[in-house]
Parts: sequence; C-alpha cells; structure tokens
Amino acid sequence: MAAPRSNREFIEACIKSGDAVHIKQEVDWENEAGAIVRRACELAAPAPFMEKIKGYPGFSYFGAPLSTYRRMAISLGMDPASRLPEIGKEYLKRTNSEPIAPVLVDKKDAPCKENILKGADVDLCKLPIPLVHEGDGGRYVGTWHAVVTKHPVRGDVNWGMYRQMMFDSRTMSGAVFPFSDLGKTLNDYYLPRGESCPFATAIGLSPLAAMAACAPSPIPEPELTGMLAGEAVKLVKCETNDLQVPADAEIILEGEICPDYTVEEGPFGEYTGYRTSPRDFRVTFRVNCITYRNNATMTISNMGVPQDEGQLLRSFSLGLELEKLLRSQGIPVTGVYMHPRSTHHMMIVGVKPTYAGIAQQVGQLAFGSKLGPWFHMVMVVDDKTDIYNWDEVYHAFCTRCHPANGIHIYRNAPGTPLYPFATPHERKYAVGSKVVFDCLWPVDWDPVNDVPTLVSFKNVYPQAIQDKVLANWTAYGYPPVK
Amino acid sequence: MNQWEVFVNDVKELAEDTELELTVRTLNPGPHKFTYKRVRCQVSSDLKKHADQLQVRLGRGQLSQSRFSIAVLGEVRRLPAKYA
Repeated sequence: MAAPRSNREFIEACIKSGDAVHIKQEVDWENEAGAIVRRACELAAPAPFMEKIKGYPGFSYFGAPLSTYRRMAISLGMDPASRLPEIGKEYLKRTNSEPIAPVLVDKKDAPCKENILKGADVDLCKLPIPLVHEGDGGRYVGTWHAVVTKHPVRGDVNWGMYRQMMFDSRTMSGAVFPFSDLGKTLNDYYLPRGESCPFATAIGLSPLAAMAACAPSPIPEPELTGMLAGEAVKLVKCETNDLQVPADAEIILEGEICPDYTVEEGPFGEYTGYRTSPRDFRVTFRVNCITYRNNATMTISNMGVPQDEGQLLRSFSLGLELEKLLRSQGIPVTGVYMHPRSTHHMMIVGVKPTYAGIAQQVGQLAFGSKLGPWFHMVMVVDDKTDIYNWDEVYHAFCTRCHPANGIHIYRNAPGTPLYPFATPHERKYAVGSKVVFDCLWPVDWDPVNDVPTLVSFKNVYPQAIQDKVLANWTAYGYPPVK
Repeated sequence: MNQWEVFVNDVKELAEDTELELTVRTLNPGPHKFTYKRVRCQVSSDLKKHADQLQVRLGRGQLSQSRFSIAVLGEVRRLPAKYA
C-alpha cells in the first residue's frame, strides 16, 4: 500500500478503509463543522469529509485528519491495524534514511494554481474559514497547514504549523512562539531590520507534509516529507514571492509578515484542552494573493480535550525525535513514548539503568534540546517496564519515584504560553518549569537485598508454572484472554 | 442595525458616554461575519441609546451577560499605507 501523495488521495483511502465518513448534507462553517470534528475526535470516530458548506459552494472540509493511529498508519502507506510501536519503527527507519530533495514543477502542473486571486480580488472571506469553537477570537484559517518561510541569509526553509486567525479580509494574526523556528527567524533578522518577511500558508497538504510540518525534526520539512513518502515532494513557486509551496496543496495564501504592524489574536481552544493564552497583539500576516484548487478541501484540526491530531501526532513525533537525540548521545535508551492523553506534556523514557544519574541526564538533554519547550515532564523507567502500558508506568511512578530524592525540578526554562498551569507572567513571557520523575532503582542499592521484588504473574512464578496456568486457563473455567 | 462584538478582560473597560477606541467584530450574517475593525465609538448600557448593538466576550471567550448599544463614530486606520 503506497503512501497517499495528496490530501485527496488520503481522503479516498480513509473512506475506503472506513476511517472517514462522507457527509453529504450541508454543514455550517459557524460552529457546526467544528462541533462535528470535535465530537469525532472525542469518540476517536472516522474523520468527517464534509462535502457541502453553507454559503461556500464548491468547497469542502476534511476534519480530524490524523487524530487516530489508524489514519496515521494509512498516511504512511501501512496497514491501518498496525500497532503503534510498528508505526514508530517505520517512522524512525524512514527519517534515518537519506534525505530526498523536493522537485520544482511548472505552474501548469501545479493543481494549487487552478484559481488565482490577486489585487482587489483578494478576500479571505471567499474561503470557507470556519469558526472552530464557539467563543474563539475569530475564524481560524490555519489549524492544519504549513506556514512556509525562509531565512534570508542561511536559506533554511521552514514549514511550521502556526495557528492563524482571520482578522479582516486580507489580514491574519497568529501565535508564533519566540523559541520556534519562525520566531527565531523573525527576531534574528526581520524585526531588527524592520523588513517584511515573505510567507505562504499551505492548507490541505498531503498528510505526510502535514506530519513533517508538525514534527520537531532538524531535517528541513520538504526533505523530511520526501523521506516519509519515499519520493520527492513536488513544489511550485509562489505568484508574488520566491517561496516554494507543495504543488498539490488545496489552498495557498501568499503574503508578508509585517514587522511594524500587529493586530489582536485569540483566544483559541488549544491542544491542552483549554483556551489558555490571553488575547494579545501578535504576529500579523498580510495576504497578497490566494491560489486554490478547483473544489478545494479545507482541512480542520479541532483541538481540545484528547484526542486530536495536535496531541496524537505531536506526541508521536516528539517522542521519536527525542529517542533519536538520546541514542545520538549514547544514552542506553530502550524506547520513548508520549501518551497523547498527556496532551504531549509527559515524556516516558525507558532506559537500561547502567549508571547513576541517568534520569537527570535524560531530563537535561530533553529539556535543553529544541524539543524541550513543548513538554514539561519526563518520567524515566527501567527497561522492564512497558512504556506503552500506562498501568505499568503508573505503577512504577507511584512505587519507585522517591518523593524527596526522585523528583528534580528545573525553573526558568523555556515554556509555552499555552501551559494551563502557568502563571499569567509565565504565559506572557513563555517561561516554563520542568520536572523529572526518576522511577529507577538507585544503582547503589544492593540488587538482592535492597531492590524490592516485583510481585507479578510474569515475575515471581517459574516458567513451567506460568506455561501450565496459561495452557489450562480456559479449562479452569475462565474465558479466553484476547 | 448592526451587531458588533468586543473582547475585553473586564466589562469596566467599556466606559459609557465617552469616546473609546475598540477592536470590534461584526456579527452581521454573511461571509464577512467575525471580521474585525478598529473603531472610535461610544457605548451605553441603555440598549436604545445608540443604533447598533454590542455583545461582550471576556478574556477566554466567555460570553458576558452585559449588553450595550454602540455608536461607531469612525474607523481607525492603523495599517501602514505600504501594506494597503
């Protein structure tokens, strides 16, 4: 099964496998579409493909594109029933391969150029921009998309998923954190010089391009997309600037980020499950051109309580990117997992506890890396604990983490303004606090006399007894265990 | 009659019978619903005092019970001409 090359191929594959439903009745862009997506997320239901949008003939919506592991497997061209560790292994294999450079295609071969609006024709209200949640600060253009920018000196291309709210017909505002790639580029180059930063927002990307835009990988996103897909991603040059965008995206907004003009943005329901960050004057995007496919499909991610793709995909990629980082530093890591229900706030790291202080070393590397601002808890467990089994992890946490010696707190680290627990000051200045939960037995304990013995079926009975009990389980009168 | 909405941290920010500068969004039906304007205006808790109506939301999007009438006196142009 090949990875779907475009958003359209992905929708088709999801409908075929029962992982998307085709909604044919008209839905309202004001709240109704958002509510459908939200409920689908909370039920882990198939993704809604909404064919008719009130007041916007010719446009459609696709919601919750990657809010289940099944859809993530489909996006990678895998069996939808693939288990999470298998999907993770495949991600690591592909993203450790050779980068695949994108190819530039001619405008005539780029579906995103089928309709072009410039000058006085530019009006964001011509697009079915949804009011995702009642009470949001505005209609959100960008919830599942990539904001494309380029560092003018280093040439680094960045595709990032920075939320964007429509302020008026040609203006958007968005949350761009100072520690993000775009935040650094703006603060490093454009803002001090008072120069406009060209941008393009690509909506309705292939699922793997969206996965790349969401992943905190050091590999440039166009190359990363190629590695994930196993073939080069096709790009096309923008109409009004030199940036290159995915040729098969559904909608492209081109424009400039204003260094000397800001408008208000937010509040917005976020992946933490709350509307946390205050309304404020934020990075402002002026739109100069809109291009879109015939019958364009706008993608919607509706973030809130678990689980949506903001949590699921971000947890997935943050965990695996941390695993790569720890392995690159020679840490004896056995696996890294972030449960989506932690709203990507808790990293669970399995290690072989071969030396003292390993949990703190893991925490310092994790928090000190580019990944660090996105989570604030690292829990380190031994290699006998199944990191994917929350019951085992929770048991290890509650029984092995010493309340005085095993909890290590780091203050004044980078954080996000979206942390629900953060003080108003911390939110405004993106300040965070971090914690490591060391759930390892201390290496200076005598393994025979000091380390407690785990009392479980697997651990305390001889193998012959376990085999006998398992073989006779149904004969004892129990139903079979699935 | 036009319907407008404003976000404030505290309803006390909406001082009555004095000229204010607010960022308001239109609630009028149609494709431009929820787009914003920066305006000079006067507001009143007397819902009949001014021609337009103003609904209020608080810092995290909560709808306030307070309602106002509003007179939009003019639009404030903050956008630098080079972006127009």
